[in-house]
Amino acid sequence: MNIYQPQLALVTALTDETHDTRTLRLEFEDEALRDSFDFHAGQFGEYSVFGAGESTFCIASAPTRKGFIECSFKAVGKVTSALREVNVGDTVGFRGPYGNWFPVDEWKGKDVVFIAGGIGLAPVRCVIWNVLDRREEFGDVTIVYGARSVDDLVYKRELEEWASRSDVKIVTTVDPGGETKDWTGEVGYVTPVVEATAPMAQNAVAVLCGPPIVVKLTLPVLDKLGFADEAIFTTLENRMKCGLGKCGRCNIGPVYVCKDGPVFTAAQLKELPAEF
Amino acid sequence: MTDATRETYFISDDDLRALAGDLLSAGTEVIAPVAVDVCASPSAIASSACLRPGVAPVDIEYRALADAAELDLSRGLPVLSLKQYFLPGHEALCCWRQHGTEVEIEAVPTTFAPRVVLAAKSCDSAALAIVDKVMNWDYQDELWNGRREATTIVNLACPVVDESCFCTAVGTAPDDVKGADALLTPVEGGYLMEATTDKGRVLMEAHGARFKAETDTHGAKHRGRQAAEERAAARARVAANLEIDAESVREWIDAHFEDPLLAALGVRCNGCGACSSVCPTCHCFDIVDEEEGIGKGTRRRCWDTCQAPTFTLHASGHNPRDDQHSRYRQRINHKFAIYPLKFGEVLCTGCGRCTRACHAGQDLVEILQAIDIAARRPDAAAAAVAGAEPAGS
Amino acid sequence: MSEVREVARKLLTDGTVRVIVGWEDARRGARPVFVTDPADTERLIFDTRCVHNLVTYLNPRRDNVAELGKIGLVVKGCDAKAVAGLLREAQLTRDDVVLIGVRCGGVLEEAELPKAASLSPENVAPRCYGCDNREPELVDHLLGESQPEPPRPVMTIDERVAALDAQPLEERWAFWTEQFSKCVRCYACRQVCPLCVCERCVAEKSRPQWIEAPPHPRGNLSWNITRALHLAGRCVDCGECERFCPVGIPLSLVNRKLQHIVAERYGYTVSDDPESPAPIGDYRLDDKQEFIK
Repeated sequence: MNIYQPQLALVTALTDETHDTRTLRLEFEDEALRDSFDFHAGQFGEYSVFGAGESTFCIASAPTRKGFIECSFKAVGKVTSALREVNVGDTVGFRGPYGNWFPVDEWKGKDVVFIAGGIGLAPVRCVIWNVLDRREEFGDVTIVYGARSVDDLVYKRELEEWASRSDVKIVTTVDPGGETKDWTGEVGYVTPVVEATAPMAQNAVAVLCGPPIVVKLTLPVLDKLGFADEAIFTTLENRMKCGLGKCGRCNIGPVYVCKDGPVFTAAQLKELPAEF
Repeated sequence: MTDATRETYFISDDDLRALAGDLLSAGTEVIAPVAVDVCASPSAIASSACLRPGVAPVDIEYRALADAAELDLSRGLPVLSLKQYFLPGHEALCCWRQHGTEVEIEAVPTTFAPRVVLAAKSCDSAALAIVDKVMNWDYQDELWNGRREATTIVNLACPVVDESCFCTAVGTAPDDVKGADALLTPVEGGYLMEATTDKGRVLMEAHGARFKAETDTHGAKHRGRQAAEERAAARARVAANLEIDAESVREWIDAHFEDPLLAALGVRCNGCGACSSVCPTCHCFDIVDEEEGIGKGTRRRCWDTCQAPTFTLHASGHNPRDDQHSRYRQRINHKFAIYPLKFGEVLCTGCGRCTRACHAGQDLVEILQAIDIAARRPDAAAAAVAGAEPAGS
Repeated sequence: MSEVREVARKLLTDGTVRVIVGWEDARRGARPVFVTDPADTERLIFDTRCVHNLVTYLNPRRDNVAELGKIGLVVKGCDAKAVAGLLREAQLTRDDVVLIGVRCGGVLEEAELPKAASLSPENVAPRCYGCDNREPELVDHLLGESQPEPPRPVMTIDERVAALDAQPLEERWAFWTEQFSKCVRCYACRQVCPLCVCERCVAEKSRPQWIEAPPHPRGNLSWNITRALHLAGRCVDCGECERFCPVGIPLSLVNRKLQHIVAERYGYTVSDDPESPAPIGDYRLDDKQEFIK
């Protein structure tokens, strides 16, 4: 099999999350693949629009939801802009799943704290649903999610759904100035909101994804709250082309994000040179 | 096959050419060094080299022979390495056709017709064996593997090109057969040839009439001695250019990411990427889509270089390696620390092409020497640093 | 040579500049050097191997040079034209750099030689013939003794261009097709060019994709033509693009041909006068426009 040849997938639904972020639902054309396709929370794929090229994002749907995959993306580059133009019924390409994953199975019996900023909720959403679909296996579930403004919050419908559940604690926040008149969530940056929320670190893991600045500032706060570096998980998103460890552009020192990542613990990050 | 069981045969100069001819008449592609007369009209206008009396105005290039007479056995270094025949400058990964909302993918072939490389440089064949590792890291790159499997490579022991060669410092040698299937060593009147893999033996057996077994005669002994001397002399010549301890170099790089010796190498570097193009082991690539008419096109990969700022540039504008210092460090780091750590081999065969291609004076021999001294003789390091780094920084 | 070292030492010592960019003698011949310590000025050389146009290090893209501090740059007359080009296009102000001019009688084709050689028709860089800027006016210091005129090469660039022009169209097409087919798209020609100043080169733009990335004939032709045209009337003929080309494409022939066209159509020749406006940025009512049909 030629590892660079994509599978074809039909776009079966699209959701506009914000003015520039969209979620696509994809179903493989190949029926056997549709049934057999499996992946782990945190893995990614190469999504392609034929004529524009391939782009890398995580699989944003949960592995516990079968028959389709979803991806969420911001239209910023050539491929994502082309992906923004596809409609329901169009065909796109997919290669994957690639990379490592969040060790969800190892978290059984623990509290899970999800922290995300902006579109960083996409990789986290996959784990949230993965955990919620197996809710009884875990302790307390806390979600802290922030975006620049109310308009920039992604997965709004799901945020409401999570808020309505009694077995999830969710705090949403927007940056100062990003609130609307009827905003009932917090106003403030993600980092201080995490500090104020003060999730218990004992017997807990934290999943942290977002813009580099959010990750950078929140890590010391988690440390202060008592989370060990080994209990903090995040994903890295260096530029990739192949996703397979061949094309040579995603490495950070000796670590290839596509093969050794994209999921890393804070302990692993601290060992890496600052090239991400 | 160990050295003791290697069987050596003699092949005359004429028979070697005839062997190339036999292969060509049988329809086998033969890739070999060809001396390209850069002064052929009207190209003569192109090169001022043609205007210099006494200078041989030829470029040696690995080419698919059209005729056995083209085979160049002068043992000069081809401008580009053999890499281009395994990882072409650009190649199709798949093609697509769009019919309305439907897409049809046309696979590209991943099996290739058998072909033979004659008179390859050991630094070029060894590079293929090294790159094999990444091309088979968990996922098998079938395009690479297909070409590797289809190709029988016959090396020609190298006399060492110049002071930028350093193959012995990175674990190979001018007469190495790593990545190759047979070796030719020049002797009086022709070559001694020994097969080192089954593919090599198959090639020799198929053309048995062209070879003479080196039986226990006086002539054979003489030729054997001659070949051994020739090979030993070449090894000694290249070893004098550079000697490093690759493991110490790896460890030092790993532990000194921010050391000026490693982190300030980009000042004179133009970031031109010529080093990557000519390098036999640089394998990084880009993947691009090209529309060819309405609703159809080809997804291609093409060579790319870590020396270009766009290599790691995110769509957001963020660039993890945003200056030439960090990009040049990446080149050294990848070759001499990251690859050895991951795959147990240095991603360099000491061909010296990057040094020769760099007209800004980035000199890998000098840089490796400085790192090796820093790693093994830190006291002497300060003196060596002065050469590799811009003065005073 | 001792004059260059002396001036460089003085400029570094009194703090006028933080780094001197000049040439040194290294393992493989002459190469650029960046001297920040006055004691290291002893490393500076100037001889016939000092081929490099160091103005490329003033290019605004060269952040690792800029971060060393104010630059004192050693320039030959031809190099000074490139400085003028950067000034003309507002990529640099005159106070950004101290120019140490050296009187030059021509350079060799190659810098990577163990020793300097005296010039002959066989080894002189062909572009040196007919040099019109041997006493650069733009510089702050002009050092060295008056040099003899560079020798006439066995065949001048103009003669080579003329020889090529004399070929029928099909021959010329075949010639350039063959030459450009060698291109591996490393963009060395762009990277070393002192006047390729674009922050984002057209070759890197993907929306739309003006130039196809793979090194096939289509992509190679569009890249090489675009490069040449973007330098029409700007190219200072330093020959660095050709010297750095790892596959030996004779870019100086393209560049020279364009110089001829610019001279003929706009009466413009590139000089080291930063005030003379280049045709590319200068509209005149009497510009030829018969090509608009």
